[in-house]
Amino acid sequence: MPEPRDVPDEPPPFLGSWKRVYIAVFVYLGAVILGFYLFTRAFR
Amino acid sequence: MRPVDWVVLVVALASIVSYGLYRSRGSNTVDRYLLASKSMPWWAMALSIMATQASAITFISTTGQAYVDGMRFVQFYFGLPIAMVIICATVVPLFHHARVYTAYEYLERRFDGKTRVLAALIFLCQRGLSAGLTIYAPALVLGVILGWPERVTTSLMGAVVVTYTVLGGIKAVTWSDVQQMCIIMLGLVTALVTVVVLLPHQVSFGEAAYLAGAAGRLNAVTTNFDWQDRFNIWSGLLGGTFLFLSYFGCDQSQVQRYLTGRSVAQSRLSLLFNAVAKIPMQAFILFIGAMVFVFYVFERPPVLFQQTELQRIQTAAGYEPVNAEYNRAFESRRTAALALVEAHKAGDKGGEARRIAEYRAAQKDIDSARADAAQLVERNGGEKGFTDVNYIFLSFVTRYMPAGIVGLVIAVIFAATMSASSGEINSLATVTVMDIYKRYVHRGATDHHYLLASRLATLFWGVYAVAFAGVAGRLGTLIVAVNKVGSLFYGSLLGCFVLALGFRRVRGTAAFCGMLAGEAAILATAKWSDISWLWYNVIGCGVVVTAALALTWAAPRRGETPLSAD
Repeated sequence: MPEPRDVPDEPPPFLGSWKRVYIAVFVYLGAVILGFYLFTRAFR
Repeated sequence: MRPVDWVVLVVALASIVSYGLYRSRGSNTVDRYLLASKSMPWWAMALSIMATQASAITFISTTGQAYVDGMRFVQFYFGLPIAMVIICATVVPLFHHARVYTAYEYLERRFDGKTRVLAALIFLCQRGLSAGLTIYAPALVLGVILGWPERVTTSLMGAVVVTYTVLGGIKAVTWSDVQQMCIIMLGLVTALVTVVVLLPHQVSFGEAAYLAGAAGRLNAVTTNFDWQDRFNIWSGLLGGTFLFLSYFGCDQSQVQRYLTGRSVAQSRLSLLFNAVAKIPMQAFILFIGAMVFVFYVFERPPVLFQQTELQRIQTAAGYEPVNAEYNRAFESRRTAALALVEAHKAGDKGGEARRIAEYRAAQKDIDSARADAAQLVERNGGEKGFTDVNYIFLSFVTRYMPAGIVGLVIAVIFAATMSASSGEINSLATVTVMDIYKRYVHRGATDHHYLLASRLATLFWGVYAVAFAGVAGRLGTLIVAVNKVGSLFYGSLLGCFVLALGFRRVRGTAAFCGMLAGEAAILATAKWSDISWLWYNVIGCGVVVTAALALTWAAPRRGETPLSAD
């Protein structure tokens, strides 16, 4: 039975490198938490 | 259910099965059947990952959670983006380049056979237990709400899932998941629009949000720390990160989704899509629950949403005073809510403060009356720790939603059940064949032989899931315990993968003993402490790593110096 084939590793389609994509995700998470915090305060 | 609801439900189910089977043509080798020849685009994997994670009970329960406790459950997902980034940077390229079928196959290459088989058995135990419950839990709720016999519902859902999973393999599962996710999103958006339209004409959307917030139903972030509290920002960020690291990094039901990617980048994108989309999606579902709460501020809800238990206590001593108090509190809350909206519109700050106090006091009385009714259920032979959270949303749907929409929401429940169940069955079969059968029972057979074995294993796990769902009702309150079992296994699996990736000098025996120690620590924590299950993964992972490092340090291999930092 053949092993699964290896697949290529490519750069991301945006932001140039995976490191920048990961940083963007962390920035997004911070923004989401801040947004929910402000949302909670606004409707408390 | 009216005829048009049945039409919507049948069309939705038929299209899911036929589309999945159509897209899975040619799954005639093991590589195609279990890994789709590594050909899937990122967006299909992304939706499949999302659909596999979201079971029916997630939708039923999450809306009910917002109704009784507000939106703070969303914090549970704050750790998800962190976990996804770690997984994308570490295990995704590792698993792809190792050319493995299962995550546990990698453990044998890194450690040894016994570590691989222990991890595979832990997965089979954990997923095997949850496979039956994935089908049983929604069948139980549909049985109470619609009067459908549980066996008919579980058999119907099971037959559909087993058919396309056995015939089409991972491709059928993934493409069906894509369609199921589309149906789920369509159903959720329709549900929110409908509930907002059903609000009284004098209450706008903004005022509905204001009323939900005044009752504490829009409390998305809570910053207080409590070991026993599952839903605060700290347990979400730390406990949630460990939980999702375990689930997406070590659980074959998820690993297999992203191993089908046509490149490492496609697999990463599928996970990062979930990192970005999952929190807003859960918040959206919770917001629907908060709007259902506001709807019931003006429309009297039953004291309990679980009709069978409500009927049981209606003739019991003590019910009438509870019901009278509930009715009085409901009228007080409705009056206070209308007055609060008027004061808010007029910008009368003093009046607003007074009305908020009245509104919250009435809500407290309602919560108290519902708690008394739940205690009546327990005292009259009902389940210990009874809660009707899972019945709130579907009760609302069947009583107030128009024809066609009810069918769509029931289709959402079916779709969510089938997507979660097919992923479980498919991954259980893959681990059974690749990590147990091919490794220890029958080595060196032909591709055709293992393809047949994979189909038979899929059929076995599908039939097992339906059979387990059939007897689950007899387990009674054990169901709660069995449900909790899932969280008892992840920590040791995660710890083993942390050792594999982060500590090059740790060998197989140390990792194996570490896993056993981690599992013992989790079981001891669950039995003798009140710590929330969300922390079990942190504890288990920590003990596995510590124990394995201690063993490696205490017994270095011949010719090696004691362990130093890698």
